[in-house]
Amino acid sequence: MLAEAKLAPIRKGLLEFLVLKIVGANSVYVPDILRRLAGTEFATQEGTLYPLLSKLRREDLVNYQWQESDAGPPRKYYRLTQAGQAQLSALDEYWNRINRTVSEIGH
Amino acid sequence: MQRIYITARLNGVNLQFDEAAFARLESYLAEAGRALDGNPDRAEILADLEQAIADQCRERMRADQVAVTLRHLEPALEEIGPVQVPGTDSPSPQPARETPRRLEQVSEGALISGVCLGLARYINVDVTLLRVIAVLLLFLSGGGVTVVYVVLMFLLPYAPAEAGAPPIGKIPAKSREFVEFVRAKLSVATN
Repeated sequence: MLAEAKLAPIRKGLLEFLVLKIVGANSVYVPDILRRLAGTEFATQEGTLYPLLSKLRREDLVNYQWQESDAGPPRKYYRLTQAGQAQLSALDEYWNRINRTVSEIGH
Repeated sequence: MQRIYITARLNGVNLQFDEAAFARLESYLAEAGRALDGNPDRAEILADLEQAIADQCRERMRADQVAVTLRHLEPALEEIGPVQVPGTDSPSPQPARETPRRLEQVSEGALISGVCLGLARYINVDVTLLRVIAVLLLFLSGGGVTVVYVVLMFLLPYAPAEAGAPPIGKIPAKSREFVEFVRAKLSVATN
């Protein structure tokens, strides 16, 4: 069995990157993000996501707008800021680089 | 009889809870609050979570149900999960659990062997009160309580000395010496 203890920190580190990717593709609210990640290795929960989003907002990578909804109270729709977009492309590029490195090494 | 519900205001949404569900809600939010202590967005994240709880509970309630019960709340909280702050490892820090106290005898500050002192600590009452009761029992039981005391003396482990504890008196020291001597003999005999 693969050591879950070794995999957990990898997922944890990548979650922020993936959330930036999701928010970058579309203006979304939290259930959209959860749904997108559900069923993947990165399935997460509100208890994790809200603190993460608030951290990203403090770092000025995302912001949100209130939007009325048909059912219930207004919702927060998140989107990337310019700084967020810049960081996402930097992360994307970095990811591609290490991905290449990982698949090349040892062959 | 009329059933009374508790109204909780979750991020501006009023929702009725039965007592058990309300208590569970309070404990979840208290724990979330602790996990977010020192976070500059604590209030906002808590509001987001309250909103999520309200949404999740309402999703699970049938139209004819007026109050949230544990049947709605538990799966809702399960789905929301514990608060995990990025950059910390544990899922919300647990307050350090005190090791459960064992029933022991305490030599330091004891009068005879420390049975009363240990018992007083264990049940968290004043040791003088226990000693008075023990003396009263001594008369009332016609000395029978002495047997109980001696049995406990031989059975109860000695508490490790705590920092700043008073020195062990002459009698407790002698009695401890004797008890440990007998125990040593017994363990040799049984091996």
